[in-house]
Amino acid sequence: MTLTVAATNDWLRRFARSVDDNEQLLTDLDAAIGDADHGSNLRRGMLAVVEQLATEPAITIGDTLRGAGMTLISTVGGASGVLFGTLLLRMATLTGERTTATATEVIAALRDGLEGVRTRGHAELGDKTMVDVLAPTIDALDAAVTSGASLADAASTAAIAAQAARDATTALVARKGRASYLGDRSIGHVDPGAASTALLFAALAGALAEAAAVDA
Amino acid sequence: MIGDVSSQPRVGLVLVSHSPALAVAARELALEFVGGPAPRIAIAAGRADGATGTNATRVAAAISEASQGVGVVVLTDLGSAVLAADMALELLNGRIDARVVPAPFIEGLLAAVVRASAGDDVDTVAREASAALDPKRALLPAAAAVEAAAHQEPDAAPFAEIATVVTVRNEGGLHARPASEIAALASGFSADITLTVAGRPAAPARSVLSISMLVAGPGTMVRIAATGDDAREAIDAISALIEGGFGEAIVGIDGPAATEIEPHRAAEGGALGVSAGRVVGPVAVLVHRIDEPSATVILAPPARRAAAAIVVEAMTSAASAYRRRALKVDGHRREVLDATAALAEDPLLIDTATSAVRERGLTPERAVWEAVGRAVADYRAAGGDLADRVTDLIDVRDRVIAELTGTEPPGLPERDAPYVLVADDLAPADTVTLDPTRCLALVTEQGGPTSHTAIIARELGLPAVVGVAGATAIADGTLVLVDGDTGEVIVQPDAVAQATATGVITTAPFTGPGQTADGHRVVLSANVGAPREIARAVERGAEGAGLFRTEFCFLDRADEPSIDEQVEAYREVFAAFPGHRVVVRTLDAGSDKPLPFLTPIVEPNPVLGLRGVRTAIRDPEVLERQLRAIAEAAAVESADVAVMAPMIATLGETREFAARARSAGIASVGIMLETPAAAITAAELCTVVDFVSVGTNDLSQYTMAADRMSAALAPLADPWQPALLRMIRLVGEATAASDTPMGLCGEAAADPDFAAVLVGLGATSLSMAARAIPTVGARLADVTLEQCRAAAAAACAAPDPEAARTAARANLG
Repeated sequence: MTLTVAATNDWLRRFARSVDDNEQLLTDLDAAIGDADHGSNLRRGMLAVVEQLATEPAITIGDTLRGAGMTLISTVGGASGVLFGTLLLRMATLTGERTTATATEVIAALRDGLEGVRTRGHAELGDKTMVDVLAPTIDALDAAVTSGASLADAASTAAIAAQAARDATTALVARKGRASYLGDRSIGHVDPGAASTALLFAALAGALAEAAAVDA
Repeated sequence: MIGDVSSQPRVGLVLVSHSPALAVAARELALEFVGGPAPRIAIAAGRADGATGTNATRVAAAISEASQGVGVVVLTDLGSAVLAADMALELLNGRIDARVVPAPFIEGLLAAVVRASAGDDVDTVAREASAALDPKRALLPAAAAVEAAAHQEPDAAPFAEIATVVTVRNEGGLHARPASEIAALASGFSADITLTVAGRPAAPARSVLSISMLVAGPGTMVRIAATGDDAREAIDAISALIEGGFGEAIVGIDGPAATEIEPHRAAEGGALGVSAGRVVGPVAVLVHRIDEPSATVILAPPARRAAAAIVVEAMTSAASAYRRRALKVDGHRREVLDATAALAEDPLLIDTATSAVRERGLTPERAVWEAVGRAVADYRAAGGDLADRVTDLIDVRDRVIAELTGTEPPGLPERDAPYVLVADDLAPADTVTLDPTRCLALVTEQGGPTSHTAIIARELGLPAVVGVAGATAIADGTLVLVDGDTGEVIVQPDAVAQATATGVITTAPFTGPGQTADGHRVVLSANVGAPREIARAVERGAEGAGLFRTEFCFLDRADEPSIDEQVEAYREVFAAFPGHRVVVRTLDAGSDKPLPFLTPIVEPNPVLGLRGVRTAIRDPEVLERQLRAIAEAAAVESADVAVMAPMIATLGETREFAARARSAGIASVGIMLETPAAAITAAELCTVVDFVSVGTNDLSQYTMAADRMSAALAPLADPWQPALLRMIRLVGEATAASDTPMGLCGEAAADPDFAAVLVGLGATSLSMAARAIPTVGARLADVTLEQCRAAAAAACAAPDPEAARTAARANLG
């Protein structure tokens, strides 16, 4: 199976709904080690994305992701907008004019997105950022696909890996962003960006499972 | 967007801020500095919906607006502003030469506006903006050192430095007043001016403090250097001022010996003798911090690998040293030392320091200085518990650097020969291991008459002078004469001055009972805070212990001492005073003196917080157990044991404490009178207790609202303040009316004249440092009760402390 334009739309809508549902949780996580705006910022950005998907539907995966990325960059107002925006823009560049993307292409696009986030935020693995979820989750997706799983099944596996990676940020010391001001005191808290990134993969798994069910 | 589009295109500027108001105000401010045509300054601030935040697409648009084709410099405020600006460059995809600069928002903008309006190119504007914090760093050298920002651009100063050397000629040298005259003069020039004395860091000429720290005595050669367009005028004016001698006597200076430190009195104004005795000895400075290692020494690449290994070795060896010290102590101190050991070998810290050696060629000591400096800045910014660990981090830094450079590590000097201990201030922890047989005298820069230094000095019978500005700059081993009566500290005293040293004053022991010339009985007893002080108290003829501080059993312990342990400790003191009265003060701890086993509390203002008897609100069992231990110990010894509670403020607290103490089996129950609240309601409090004891140290602090640790407020902490005397009089009137014995156990009772005034105010017993008992006893035996009362009345009526002292002495004859 492949990722289609419709599934991409569905992915972004599911992510928006999930961020909306979890706004308070994300904000609470951010309140512990940041400035308590992650939930509301990302929610505002994703609602704008959903509105854009409805009013200006794109016909390629690349345009869909690029539109969403630009909307996040211009509406969120915090670091998370730039970082999620960078992820989606980089993915858009690689998927380009396609209307479907294979599992390998999706993984390559995600890896490029990860690279963009890493460069933009100057973050490395272990810095207690969204990179700590992105990297192991893409690896899990890759491993599952390589071992023969369908994209939908691999995405489900990856979503579980994302949750584990999210929880593992609890033990890390924040080295980037406002949370890094707390040093060791950031230990014991889940990184809010890691939590929202796990939601992104849960949304991807949901969208692909739905698409697979429709295909079947 | 604002800005003139003149014929010559100029570098454009973009302000990226979370706050539109901030950006607009910054732009207005910057434009006030512009002489020529203003550059274009575009603003990208706030979210698209107007709220606080940043917006990368708006930044990209602003860069386009600001661009006149010769480049754009982008200034950001913080956090996501940097990310947004970076993102914007990606969105522009190289179409405009825009630079996001690591510059402070306001200073960077001012520098950039000035440069851009002058028509400079984008490289220059970007570089000047990035270096815009340098002037502030130069003005605030201490902060810059902490920040450890060594990676500064090569100095592009438009002016060459010019310098001259002058010799200090006035008798007092560059002490506080001349320093402030120099600073005032220097402020009138725009040039950057520094004063340097061989062997010390350069002092900015606008900083009174830095100049004073040069301790430039008469004969010292001072180098005056300046850069800037009026550098020459500045140097001429300042050298004329210094050579003019500041209106003081001019010291004849001949020959090359002039650079030696001449004998002089260090800092006459603030110095205060707090514990008597006149001694001569070599200085040993208690090192709290060490000099900043040079940032300009760069190691050749082949040497770097070995140097990095030395850093690792020094840090791990410092960690082992902390662990070894931890083994010698217990309780809280052990925990702190173990935690500090972990800091010393923190992988991140080691990694930061070794990379600085390998990649930038810093010396090992400079690399450690910078690595810790960065951690300190982070910890400070984090606040709370982390900020509290800054002291530990700095200790790590200093010990590692001391090891690397072969200098004295921070802490009490390790000496076999006698020495005069010089410190900026002494904390109780510094003096735990102080050996009074080696230490001759104490000299500190900070502290007032009732500071820890003063208390410790009197306890140990050492002469002490506090408030000596610049004392820690005296070189180790320099001979000094210290007079704890007059407050004199003479550096390098000549033979004549040395001959005036009389040593620690010794007086024949007091043979009681204490009474006035006309037979009015006043019990003279000793303050006892540790078993080591018992012998001295007995030796000096103390009639018991009027204040037995019990904290020593509790400090440095992770857990509360058992009742049996307490009984044993108390018995040791009781046994030393058979048949005499021993007044036990229950545990005086709190958030200012935290104990691990008491409920931890964080208070913004611990001196006004949960301390003394107030801790029993949270931990009543600790008090209960202590009272039981005191009662048990008293039952088996012949001392006349009484108990009193510290920090009483209300009748309710007094009732509750008295009930607890009596039900534990204590025969005589009293309270400390050390809050104005207790003094004002003394009449009521007397109805429920057997005695009261005025604690002058705290009563003074709370009456005058002046921290007794503050050297600046030392005049307010003067016990002769009429307000304090009248406060004590209130207590005296209440106790006399109810026939309640009134004791007094502050440091002030050690002053013989003051002791007489206290008797006049109604004190029936005085408790003091054992050393003072003979002199106070002799003074009281000299005067009548009538004279004491007249002296008290006159002192209370005086307008100020000096007048009170004079009036009292006049009446005492």
